[in-house]
Amino acid sequence: MKNNSTDNIKLGVFVLGALFFLILLLYMIGKNSNMFGDNYILKTRFENVQGLKAGNNIRYAGIDIGTVKSVYFINDTMMEVKMVIDKKAKNIIKKNALVYIGTDGLVGNKLVNILAVKADAPYAVENDILPSKKPVDTDEMMRTLSKTNNQVSKIAEDFSITINKLNNSKGLWQLLNDHTIADNISNASIQVNKSSYKINEIANKINDIADVLKNGNGTLPKLINDKNLADSLTAAINNFKTAAYEITEAGKEINHSVALISKEVNDGKGSIHAILKDTSVTILLEKSMENIETGSKGFSDNMDALKHSFLFRGYFRRLEKRNKQ
Amino acid sequence: MDSYINAGNFLKEVGEIARFTLKFLITWFKPRYEIKEFFKQCYVIGYKSLPLIGLTGFIMGLVLTMQLRPSMVDYGVESELPAIVGIAIIREIGPVITALIFAGKIGSSIGAELGSMKVTEQIDAMEVSGTNPFKYLVVSRVLATTLMLPILAILSDAISLYGAYLGVNIKGETSLQLFWIQVIDSLSFNDVIPAFIKTYFFGFAVGIIGCYKGYNSNKGTEGVGKSANAAVVVASVLIFIIDLLAVQITDLLGYN
Repeated sequence: MKNNSTDNIKLGVFVLGALFFLILLLYMIGKNSNMFGDNYILKTRFENVQGLKAGNNIRYAGIDIGTVKSVYFINDTMMEVKMVIDKKAKNIIKKNALVYIGTDGLVGNKLVNILAVKADAPYAVENDILPSKKPVDTDEMMRTLSKTNNQVSKIAEDFSITINKLNNSKGLWQLLNDHTIADNISNASIQVNKSSYKINEIANKINDIADVLKNGNGTLPKLINDKNLADSLTAAINNFKTAAYEITEAGKEINHSVALISKEVNDGKGSIHAILKDTSVTILLEKSMENIETGSKGFSDNMDALKHSFLFRGYFRRLEKRNKQ
Repeated sequence: MDSYINAGNFLKEVGEIARFTLKFLITWFKPRYEIKEFFKQCYVIGYKSLPLIGLTGFIMGLVLTMQLRPSMVDYGVESELPAIVGIAIIREIGPVITALIFAGKIGSSIGAELGSMKVTEQIDAMEVSGTNPFKYLVVSRVLATTLMLPILAILSDAISLYGAYLGVNIKGETSLQLFWIQVIDSLSFNDVIPAFIKTYFFGFAVGIIGCYKGYNSNKGTEGVGKSANAAVVVASVLIFIIDLLAVQITDLLGYN
């Protein structure tokens, strides 16, 4: 009898131990699926859920905060995902948080990521629909990649044709094998090198000149650098402009006068006309000129007589000495 | 001609097992209930099998982890080792290996025990003394195997997981907490519940085959050995057949 009860106790411990482990396992799995504890529901909508299914994790900033409860159709182009979120995240997820579908690692299970947006918004409450971001469509990516591959293939084909043409071009290979061209190019490069050396020297000299012009004390630097001189030059140019203007005005007046004189001459009026056109005046003038010539000759003779006179000889010698000095 | 005879014998055997099962199902509900014998059998079948089941479970977890590690390292997913081992143990290795060991130990013992009782006419004596031998011997044993195998399978899972934890830590370093979290994260109810339910069927199969073979034993002591051997072989095959059916049904129901 005693044996029986001991065996039964052992059996009880054995069964309870197994049940404890089973219940613990189920509880942990249930807790993991947010079956126990305080939760609330948030929703989001996608055009394509990419294989997301009930039980997939919801992740916020890398922390698992819930699971997908269900995925169902709203209409022909829109799916609604119902998410069970731990109530601890109630004061964290805002109404403007972005939801997108990702994968756990490269080849892992699908999961829903909730991304916080910096803009301010109230906290999401039960049954709120969070905005979603279109997931990266791998099919579209593959299509684009395929298109790119085709284009690359075509380019490679064209490139191959071009290379073949280049390979089969006798002229090109002749050109490439001709050593004289290489020598010429080499010589040309030497000449270019020398020229560049000389250009460099010239540039240095120009630089020196520029330095002198900038910092030197000569006339040209002053002309360039002296502000007073520049002002004076400006004033001189202005004066020159004024003078030119005045000369132009005077020229105009002279022209006017000449025109008047010409008119008077042509009209037979005034003294000029008398001088130029009246023959009697001309004869008188000729006679006067003859008299002046005769008078001046006489005056010259008198002066020679004076030079040789003892009274004035001394004066003329002193005048000659002064002129020589 | 031999194959026809064999096919005929096989079908006859299947029919007799079906009749035996039906008799069990009918007798089970009818009083009087052999409670004391049932608990005694639970103790012998369940509790006494724990060391063997625990040892095989522990070795299975450890070996499985060590065998999986190189491939996981090659694929660069060494960190997923606890998850993979956890799923393998809970879904398949734990229940099936436990059931096979259980069939080896309990199936053969029931077959031999009932077989020897049969050939020594103890069963007939029980019937003469007014005790229902079927109820006393078969129902208590089949119920005990049916209820104890799930318990053993759960404990075997726990011990296997501990073996796997040690296996992970032989060449790596993972805390028990992280290992446990990784295992739980990878599991769902769909992994645990179908695996748990199928162990009832495994237990029932082991019990019913062991009892059938023992209860229908003949040809003296030679028949006892044959009964024990046949009980193990048929029960083991039946475990795999049930496992195949279980995975098909789970898949059809969408719980896989």
